[in-house]
Amino acid sequence: MLALDAVRFAYPGASSEYRFTMDAMAGEVTAIRGQSGSGKSTLLDLIAGFLTPASGTIRIDGSDVTTLPPETRPVSILFQSETLFEHLSAARNVALGLPRADADRVGAALTEVGLAGMGGQRASTLSGGQKQRVALARTLLRNRPVLLLDEPFSALDDETRATTRELVLSLTQKHKWATLLVTHHADDIAAIAQRVYLLENGELELSR
Amino acid sequence: MALAVAALIAVLFSAIVGAAASQPPLAAARYDLGYLLWITTAQATLSTLFSLIVGIALAWALNRLRFPGRNLVVGLFASAIVTPGLIVAFGLLSVWGRNGWLSRSSDALFGAPLDISIFGLGGVVAAHIILDGAFAARILLARLDALPEARLKTGQSLALSGWQRFTIIDWPAMRGTLPGLGAVIFLLAFTSFPIVLLLGGGPAVQTLEVAIYSAVRLDFDLNAAVTLALAQIAVCAAIILLSSAFSPIPTSLSQPAAMHWCDSIAARSGQWFVLVLCLLGFGLPLVAVLGDGLTGALSLAASASFWNAILTSLGIATASAVLALVLSLAVAASRAASSLRWFRIAVGVPAYAYLAVPAVALSLGAFLFVRELGIAPETAAPLVVIVANALLALPFALATLGPAFDAIVRSRGKLMRSIGLSGARQFREIEWPILAGDIGIVVALAFCFSLGDLGVIALFGTQDFVTLPLYMLRALGAYRTNDAAAVAALMLVLTIAAFVLIPRLFERLGRARA
Amino acid sequence: MFRSIAFALAVLMSVASAAAQSPTLTIYTYDAFAAEWGPGPQLKTGFEKICGCTISFVAADSSIGALRRVQLEGATTGADIVLGLDTSIAGEARATGLFEAHGLHFPRTVIPWADPDFSPVDQGYFAFVYDKRKVANPPDSFEALIAVPESFKIVLEDPRSDTPGLGLVLWIKAAYGERAPEIWKGLKPHIVTMARGWSDAYSLFLKGEADMVLSYTTSPAYHAVAESDPNYGAAIFSEGHYPQTEIAGILKSSPNKELAAQFLSWLVTPEAQAIIATTNWMYPVTLGTALPDAFGTAPEKVLNLDEAEITANKSAWIDEALAAIR
Repeated sequence: MLALDAVRFAYPGASSEYRFTMDAMAGEVTAIRGQSGSGKSTLLDLIAGFLTPASGTIRIDGSDVTTLPPETRPVSILFQSETLFEHLSAARNVALGLPRADADRVGAALTEVGLAGMGGQRASTLSGGQKQRVALARTLLRNRPVLLLDEPFSALDDETRATTRELVLSLTQKHKWATLLVTHHADDIAAIAQRVYLLENGELELSR
Repeated sequence: MALAVAALIAVLFSAIVGAAASQPPLAAARYDLGYLLWITTAQATLSTLFSLIVGIALAWALNRLRFPGRNLVVGLFASAIVTPGLIVAFGLLSVWGRNGWLSRSSDALFGAPLDISIFGLGGVVAAHIILDGAFAARILLARLDALPEARLKTGQSLALSGWQRFTIIDWPAMRGTLPGLGAVIFLLAFTSFPIVLLLGGGPAVQTLEVAIYSAVRLDFDLNAAVTLALAQIAVCAAIILLSSAFSPIPTSLSQPAAMHWCDSIAARSGQWFVLVLCLLGFGLPLVAVLGDGLTGALSLAASASFWNAILTSLGIATASAVLALVLSLAVAASRAASSLRWFRIAVGVPAYAYLAVPAVALSLGAFLFVRELGIAPETAAPLVVIVANALLALPFALATLGPAFDAIVRSRGKLMRSIGLSGARQFREIEWPILAGDIGIVVALAFCFSLGDLGVIALFGTQDFVTLPLYMLRALGAYRTNDAAAVAALMLVLTIAAFVLIPRLFERLGRARA
Repeated sequence: MFRSIAFALAVLMSVASAAAQSPTLTIYTYDAFAAEWGPGPQLKTGFEKICGCTISFVAADSSIGALRRVQLEGATTGADIVLGLDTSIAGEARATGLFEAHGLHFPRTVIPWADPDFSPVDQGYFAFVYDKRKVANPPDSFEALIAVPESFKIVLEDPRSDTPGLGLVLWIKAAYGERAPEIWKGLKPHIVTMARGWSDAYSLFLKGEADMVLSYTTSPAYHAVAESDPNYGAAIFSEGHYPQTEIAGILKSSPNKELAAQFLSWLVTPEAQAIIATTNWMYPVTLGTALPDAFGTAPEKVLNLDEAEITANKSAWIDEALAAIR
């Protein structure tokens, strides 16, 4: 589904180099564990297309996306913050996932993430959990085969966190996404990941 | 601090009102207040509108494009606002004038000189756009460059089009800055003086400021001057209040994005088009000033009074930059610390008020005030110039620092209070490392303003106190056009150098602290 | 900054110490007169050699500025002399009551001089200056100027802020009287702009923005003498030319009136007049002053207006002119 084969990358002027090889399966949550500064965000940037590897290939559904620019990659990305444009309504944020606005589909997506009827609210008035749900609704509409999550639950309280990650898991399974979860929280991994990589010394190692 | 500024202006003004009261009222009013207000407002509105549009387009292009020498280009644009208006006006003439580069090339290429007139409303607005549009671009660019990386990545991976990126990401980031910026530009255009007289093309295009000057200098009719000045202050105050009524959109302080946004070919070519157009529009007049200056450079280098003027100018500029920084930090911090709306307005407005008061009135007020204190005007001249220039830079400094200070308080205010940070320590530990770059811009602004301005000491008698702009005016007044051109070029070089180097220096200092 | 403070202190101290030994004569004047290249420094050296005193020039931004400063300071002014006013503002200056009769006689002046309050310093005639390489046949009257094609441009000074600007208003008034607005209307299409001051206007002309600039008949002499450039000329108008005589007056509040009068009478000596002519680029007021050839001769036909009439109507005339070209 998502496959990185001997992807090598080094920041200009840095002595250390990253060498990434990994697979992530459709309908599964694959977790990347690692300490701060181990290169988790670099990995996501390479997959999302914000960085270009020096060598190696990145494939999604068998096709080579290594040199595609970010906006054309079949990838959705969710950060810990800044997932929404705060001055727009929830519905308009969701609608950005579609080539042109479609109120019915936006409403359906919001319902699927449990926010039926909240489309009119300004993003800045939503709670942290609600924001991530809105972002997931947008991801639904984009329906890209790969979902990248960069510490998406870190700012949430325990209860919201549990329900949000369950939502991620169920959406992943239902829509057959290959979801990549970057986190340093062991309980997130234990709760929803089917496959875990440990990122250490610039390399990925399958640990479960 | 803000009170002190307000009080100073009040004192200066009351000195004039006092002098006016002792003067018998002159027969009939000789000015057409309605027409003056109309033409001045129309001119200032056009200047503001176009400056903002040009500023937004240029900030957009500069934010996206990466090319060698980008910092120099940014510094060049930023320096336009502090370039003395007269220099820009003459530069504009070298390019667009009847005998300018464009007209002469057109003559050489097509056998016909260019038949457009730079004189009139169009020329005045064009000069203001050069001065203020580039400044707007610099301020707005800082907002765009500060956009958080995650927001840009989200937008990019959502495949936002160039237009969507602008409306959804860029516009909200710039919007908060526009009212304050617009107000400053409006005030500058509204009170414009040398440009209007040089390029206005006659009495049809003028400003209240010109009428006040003539009331004071020609008619010595202080009552009329006070009436006109009050009209000017009323309009400007309305603009200032209107602009402070908009609550600025929060500025984010997250990590600035190093990320390169991938635009469509159409958008990218649009950016290059805007950049090249602006470079030609802004750059050529300045290049013309430099070119003209080379001819006189040699004869000047041998003159001792010229070197003395340089040293005096640098000293004055440094002193008023420090003063402006202290003032603006104090005002920005006390404004950010309060959530009371009226208090914020009350603290912020006097800073802008200085722009609204006619320069000739300030000059007169300062003169009377200094005399009342029993100080010889010649002795007070350096101090008055320093204070006046610092106050002149204050609104620009606040427009730069104010939103940033507010953002720090919003995002970290509780944290700072909970660990008992305040005052100098808070500044040293929190604001300085975060804002060093912005502070550098403020220092550079004030430094350059001071380098180019001398309006306030017209009456003071400045035989031995000669700064570069005064040296230039004297050379012009003595047929020494080449010397004047060389001084103009030198001021331009100093201005650009200060604008490129000082913010960088401060950024580096700030990073060392963090 | 430190330099300036140090400088100010040095000035203060020198003023203080000089006061103990010899009197200081303080002269308010305009910037260009006191500047490095102006007459100020040489006049100072010249007079200090013979008077046993110190001359201190205080430069306001213009001669009107110098007068306004004295008016604002009133009896407490530090000035002994105001130098550089001209005959178009003399009436107003006289009316302030701040000036004292000088008690001097000027028997050898070019124009007979009988003003009891003000002494003459130099004189010039307003004229349009042109570049001989670009304008082969300059207009020889206002009416000829109006008749040339509109592409022929002139640059003027604003009469509200500058003496040549005011001079043109008086010139046209003196030549055409009631017809003045008509002349201004005819000039309108030729006017590129009205600059704030002479130096701005002259720069515009040198930059090629206009074919002629309102200046003085003596301007070409500067280019010929200081720059060895003989290509500039002043268009002589058949209506005649309006003169500008720069004057100086002693203030009633001055404690050094005798010294001041001595300075004023020294100013009209051929020695001082020669300095002024080639630094201020104006004609001398005294007969027999040595002049470079480039100065040529003064215009034959000279216009004039009554001082009281100028004082009473100046503002109305300016408004009339501005209204005609708005």
